[in-house]
Amino acid sequence: MTDESLRVVIVDDEPLARAVVREYLKAHPGVEIVAECGNGFDAVKAVSELSPDLMFLDVQMPKLDGFEVLELLGRQVPVIFTTAYDEYALRAFEVHAVDYLLKPFSEQRFGEALSRARARVLGQEAGPDLEAVVQDRARRGPAERVLIRDGAQVHVLPVQKIDYIEAQDDYVCFKSEGKQYLKDQTMGALEATLDPSRFVRIHRSYLLNIERIARVELYAKDSRVAILRDGTRLPVSRAGYARLSKLL
Amino acid sequence: MHPLLARRGHLALYLSLWLLVGGLLALLLAGQRDIASGFAALVALPLVTAYSFVCLSAWYVARGMPLAGSGALRVVATALTTAVLSSAMWLVIARAWIAILGRHFGVADAPGLFGGIIPLLFGFGVLLYLLSLAVSYLLAAFEASQEAQRRSLQGQVLAREAELRSLRAQIDPHFLFNSLHSISALTSADPPGARRMCILLGEFLRETLALGGEHRITLARELALIERFLAIERVRFGDRLRVEISAGDAGSCLVPPLLLQPLVENAVTHGIAHVLDGGIVRVTAERSGALLRIVAENPCDPDRPRRAGTGVGLANVRSRLRALHGMDAAVSAGQQDATWRVELTMPAVEGT
Repeated sequence: MTDESLRVVIVDDEPLARAVVREYLKAHPGVEIVAECGNGFDAVKAVSELSPDLMFLDVQMPKLDGFEVLELLGRQVPVIFTTAYDEYALRAFEVHAVDYLLKPFSEQRFGEALSRARARVLGQEAGPDLEAVVQDRARRGPAERVLIRDGAQVHVLPVQKIDYIEAQDDYVCFKSEGKQYLKDQTMGALEATLDPSRFVRIHRSYLLNIERIARVELYAKDSRVAILRDGTRLPVSRAGYARLSKLL
Repeated sequence: MHPLLARRGHLALYLSLWLLVGGLLALLLAGQRDIASGFAALVALPLVTAYSFVCLSAWYVARGMPLAGSGALRVVATALTTAVLSSAMWLVIARAWIAILGRHFGVADAPGLFGGIIPLLFGFGVLLYLLSLAVSYLLAAFEASQEAQRRSLQGQVLAREAELRSLRAQIDPHFLFNSLHSISALTSADPPGARRMCILLGEFLRETLALGGEHRITLARELALIERFLAIERVRFGDRLRVEISAGDAGSCLVPPLLLQPLVENAVTHGIAHVLDGGIVRVTAERSGALLRIVAENPCDPDRPRRAGTGVGLANVRSRLRALHGMDAAVSAGQQDATWRVELTMPAVEGT
């Protein structure tokens, strides 16, 4: 990052909407557009690779919407939302967005948002609060899909395709259709976002999709194993067995 | 028209009730002095039948002087007067009838016999007439309550129609916000394009407003409207949105205005907008005999969870068609792989 120049990424699936931001930015010296993205995947990739100072982000986009992009990027970059929908404004501020521009917006309003963003970057203020994003996520009911970032690549995992999740140190490992995906998240935080009638914590280290379970066997005194449809054997703790019995 | 005269069944019921009254009168007469029971019946039954018609007039009295809005004293006075008059009229008929019977059966003292039963007949007549009046008032009250019920039903129908009118495809305001934003972009980058977009948008809005007052329009006109709508959306989405519309010979069929609008709006906002490379929004209409079939298809993201509220437009289309055609119209919608498809079937009505 150079001393003066503010490096920005523009994310919007409509070329004309990106053109408006591009044009308005021309009037502001010291701003460099490092990438323009037409969808959420590209946005995650661009931010991962280019570490920009600011992102203009549309909400409604194919594949990943603006909030899902934030969930994946966390604190990496301050965000100004641009959208025609005013109903997301509250959510945007709850996830600590710098500003929220309602389309169509004026050059003056855009300038205010940009000054605010500069102040935040200069003040070394962090970008959106990941904790707040996750809380926002949890408030909107159980997740229907899990977003996993693997470097610049993004995996979207529908929850019904998850077999089980295993805790590995500070990560959680998703097992789905024979593949594994690592995500930087704690088991407790993940459990809070999933549907409790579908995923049950059978063990300190295991969260199981109950549709995958074939049977539970007594292994030794007070210890059981869950046998999945594909033959996988997972340990079941005493508390886990109580939770499981309640659900089945 | 008197409610009892209007329906044959009602009149028969009314007369048979009066025959019971006639039986009662015959018994009373037979209990009097030296009247044979057969003769009593001959006197009573025809007289009562005749009086039953006189008493029909009570209904008109009740109508002419509704209980609400008339003084109690006036009502009682009128009731008594009409009862006395009717009963007096009945006495005249009775006298003539008994004279005829007397002559025919050789009863010596027919006028004497009549004179003996005058108080009985008169009292009976007055009571019966008052009873008829009471029944008439009851009938009137019943009719009034039915009328009130009918009115409230009619009110409900009107309210439902108003609701349907409001269901009529309301243009999504976000469509306007996004279009205006596109125009804002075009003003500097492509001024002629901005002007074209303004004109398209103006034409679309004017046509939409004009259609608001219409009951039915030709399918061709409806398709022209959604084509214009999609042309505006094409400015936003560029090559991601492609459009294929065909109607064949179905263009002259009549449809409610803006019926397809919510479907293509959904096709764009819930379909094309969520597919990276976009695709084709295809609207195909065809006539097969007496049926008109319209199919709208668009690509969609099969991995995207369906969100609450996406069914509003479709539900509106459904309820409008049901209101117009009842069970003769059908709406089916569903997703297969990456295609969302809505099919409408309704009776093919030709424009004149």
